[in-house]
Amino acid sequence: MNYIHLFYQLLPEAVLVITALALLGVAVSTESKTKKTITCGLASRIAALGVLAAGVALVFTPKCLASGSHLIAMDAIALIFKGGVLGLGFLAVLVPPAKKEIEHPGEYFALMLFALTGLTLAVGSNHLLFIFVALELASLSLYLLAGFSRTPQSSEASLKYFLFGAVSAAFMLFGLSFLYGFSQSDTLQGVAKAVAADPTSVIGMVGLLMVVVGLGFKMAAAPFHYWAPDVYQGAPVTTVTLVAGASKIVGVVLLVRFLMIGFPDAAGSAAWGGITAGWSIWLAIIAAVSMVFGNLLALAQKSVRRLLAYSAVANSGYLMVGMCAAGGESSAAALFYVVVYGLATLGALVVTAAVERDQGSDSQAAFAGLIHRSPLLAVCLLIFMTSLAGIPPLAGFAGKFILFGAAMTDSIQAENSGLAWLVGLAVVMSAVSFYYYLSVLKQAFVKDGDGSAGKESLSLGYVLAVVIPAAALVLLGLLPSVLLDPIKVAVLETLGMH
Amino acid sequence: MNPAWTIISAFAGALLVLLLPARMAGQSRIIALIASLVGAAAAAVSCLTRLNGMESDVWSFKSDWIPSFGIQFHLAADGLALTLLMLTGVVAIAGVLFSWNVTKRPRAFFAYFLTIIGGVYGVFLSQDAFLLFVCYEIVILPKYMLIAIWGSTNREYGAMKLTMYSIGSSALILLGLVVAYAAAGGTSFDIAHLAAAEYSTELQNWAFPILFLGFAVLAGMWPFHTWAPTGHVAAPTAASMLLAGVVMKLGAFGALCIAIPLFPDGFAVWQPFIAGLAVVGILYGAFTALQQKDLKFVIGYSSVSHMGFVMLGLATATHWGFRGAALQMISHGVIAGLLFGIAGRVVYERTHTRDLTELGGFNLWKSLPGAAIAFTLATAASMGLPGFSGFVAEISVVIGVWESYPWLLPWVALGIIITGAFSLRAMYRAFFPDSKASSAETMGAGSSTPPLDPLTWPEISAMALLLIVSLSIGIYPKPWVTLIDDGLRSPLFQSILFQP
Repeated sequence: MNYIHLFYQLLPEAVLVITALALLGVAVSTESKTKKTITCGLASRIAALGVLAAGVALVFTPKCLASGSHLIAMDAIALIFKGGVLGLGFLAVLVPPAKKEIEHPGEYFALMLFALTGLTLAVGSNHLLFIFVALELASLSLYLLAGFSRTPQSSEASLKYFLFGAVSAAFMLFGLSFLYGFSQSDTLQGVAKAVAADPTSVIGMVGLLMVVVGLGFKMAAAPFHYWAPDVYQGAPVTTVTLVAGASKIVGVVLLVRFLMIGFPDAAGSAAWGGITAGWSIWLAIIAAVSMVFGNLLALAQKSVRRLLAYSAVANSGYLMVGMCAAGGESSAAALFYVVVYGLATLGALVVTAAVERDQGSDSQAAFAGLIHRSPLLAVCLLIFMTSLAGIPPLAGFAGKFILFGAAMTDSIQAENSGLAWLVGLAVVMSAVSFYYYLSVLKQAFVKDGDGSAGKESLSLGYVLAVVIPAAALVLLGLLPSVLLDPIKVAVLETLGMH
Repeated sequence: MNPAWTIISAFAGALLVLLLPARMAGQSRIIALIASLVGAAAAAVSCLTRLNGMESDVWSFKSDWIPSFGIQFHLAADGLALTLLMLTGVVAIAGVLFSWNVTKRPRAFFAYFLTIIGGVYGVFLSQDAFLLFVCYEIVILPKYMLIAIWGSTNREYGAMKLTMYSIGSSALILLGLVVAYAAAGGTSFDIAHLAAAEYSTELQNWAFPILFLGFAVLAGMWPFHTWAPTGHVAAPTAASMLLAGVVMKLGAFGALCIAIPLFPDGFAVWQPFIAGLAVVGILYGAFTALQQKDLKFVIGYSSVSHMGFVMLGLATATHWGFRGAALQMISHGVIAGLLFGIAGRVVYERTHTRDLTELGGFNLWKSLPGAAIAFTLATAASMGLPGFSGFVAEISVVIGVWESYPWLLPWVALGIIITGAFSLRAMYRAFFPDSKASSAETMGAGSSTPPLDPLTWPEISAMALLLIVSLSIGIYPKPWVTLIDDGLRSPLFQSILFQP
């Protein structure tokens, strides 16, 4: 084992940590000299530069499957999705929070970088304990971040997030210990060997079930979603963008790793008329519950942040539909969709933050007349919401279409109709979701507002954080292959399917 | 000019209108008119080229789009698609002309308008199910915006109802297409490939109604029509024209060119149900139209009735029936556009009422003779009098019904009679009121009602354009029939129309 080699492998993470420490140093030294904290804008810029540098470092990181210790797996999936996490993380740190919302910007953005470090580490590993530790690094940072604005709502969000998170972490660790005990190995490849020898082992399946519960919490899938609405509403916006975007990507990547690398032989089937035991049917149930719960509850929300939280629950459901087809193409489609979803939700949250800052509320009524106040925000909101609703020519449409198509293709057989029942539910629920996305747009485009509100003024960070995802969604909608093909190649290569 | 210019002109026009600086917003209607004219010209040139070169291959354009999922950017224009392009072009021009006086946020208005037109052109030209669905869905949001922002009666409710129906219908279509894609091997979304694949009868039996219903909702098939009257009434004039004139045709076109060829066995099973629902729709729409007080509701329900003929033509699964359905799509597109244009723009914007009794008080045949003449001719066309497009279309459908379901003919005949009744009723009440009743009313209201503004040139030219098209189809249907038959010779319909 060679530490220099290891350092190269983890160059992006190293850059993130160094930036975070530098940020803390700057913050502390400024505070002790001038008795004032550094400005939010400066902290945000330093953090953004750090993430950008980490992205550059990622480009030069060598792809390597065996790093000697089996802790790190820089496979094709890891390379792409470290990039994805860093990209969404970059957009998240671009948004400067209001000064009154956050008292210590230095610490706040340092924690954001630590959370990102944990998330990028978690994406690139097949080692059971390493994944757990990386996830906990991210989670602990996110718990703190959620409570950072010191309002009662923020504290409530933080405490709920922590309590639910702690329970799910306990589940996950317990599950991992089962997997270790079952396979005598601490890597997913080792687990896969044990599963291939005994696909119906109860211990292995119990362990996997607990891991799925833990990851379901990360992805805000029902019924493990109860933290989501309060965190989305109470936590500072930049934290929420991280939770909704980067953290969700990590959840899906890890699900793909556990299910498709660790348990490919225990999938079973959730096909109508051909159900066999395995993880596929669990995911199908979680998916169905998430889609129904998330979409129906979102219909009733007045607060746009809570609405996006329930939309997150619903979207976990769509993602799980792709996962439970247990195929390479459907996994790739799910991974493509989660990136698209992350971009759209992040953008929608940033627009909400801008509206909330000027109107003092994130209720739907606060969006009235947005097209007159700020055409840029309104048009970007249109792109984000219609992408979430799955309307062409935006990426959300291509994502959903390909996801459902791949799920059907990977599951349909001559003797049964495959996942048509689940895909049908997903399609119908997706139609339901259009109602609540459209009702936000109705406020922004159709209602005139009371005219008292002034124009929204936007700093460069805000503009970039809405324009970049909006442009990306249009581009990926017109040319999905730009991202879809690399993901598909990476997934098939990593899973060893050709 | 090849048919792709229809799509390009519409979307380029929409983009140009959006990029117009605020002080030139008033010019957006000119850009919209030019874009529509270019689109219609491209459609006309393509139609003529096709008519003169029937033996040559159809125009097509193919390029990879998302190769890893077998999705191509594949456009092609056979005769059937070309006639529908022509219809869209005509309705688009008339729609812009009837919207000449839009002053509220004109850039956004015409951008949404042209986006709908572009999407519709795209659906008619798509040979790839994914592309078709993309174009089909592009239309939904602009429809909502047009109605919710520029609409009249109960606009937000009408807009939301129409949009949710559209989204629901596209959900069904998406499901049907995805099932077909997966069952055909998951390699290509090409419609010809999907239609050529073998599906088990069992699968067809449940997948066909899903896919067909998705399209039928948009075509306003009873009992899924309720979005149409409320939506048409709430919509601004141009949007009513587009909705009734071309957007409902998307549903019928999809049913004809996607649902039926993909799952022919399923179609054979469900055929009688479709025929039954279509006849109920014809009768229900006609009887309901007979009861309406609002002129736009009369036209809205008459659309339900007329689209019933389209669905009935499809349900016959005969050459005559398909041809009649296609002719009826075109005929109804033109006539509904004309009726909505007169009711919503010419009359309503001057009288500010659409109530049949109140309209009687305006003595429109005296105060707006041009509109009265146009409406009379449109009514005649709508009733299916010989010489107008409606006659050619309905007679073809009826022949088709004779071949397949002769016992349905009495009901169809009843529908045609009631259609005459409600058309005449609406026309007399609105334009030619009973002299005694109206003179009594004009005594009271006459002095306070200022004389109505004369017709403007955009209105006259739009009405003339639509009337001429309807008359030309009625008098000389041959080129249209030739083009439609060209489309029906496509391999898609081989197994249905030309069974050994």
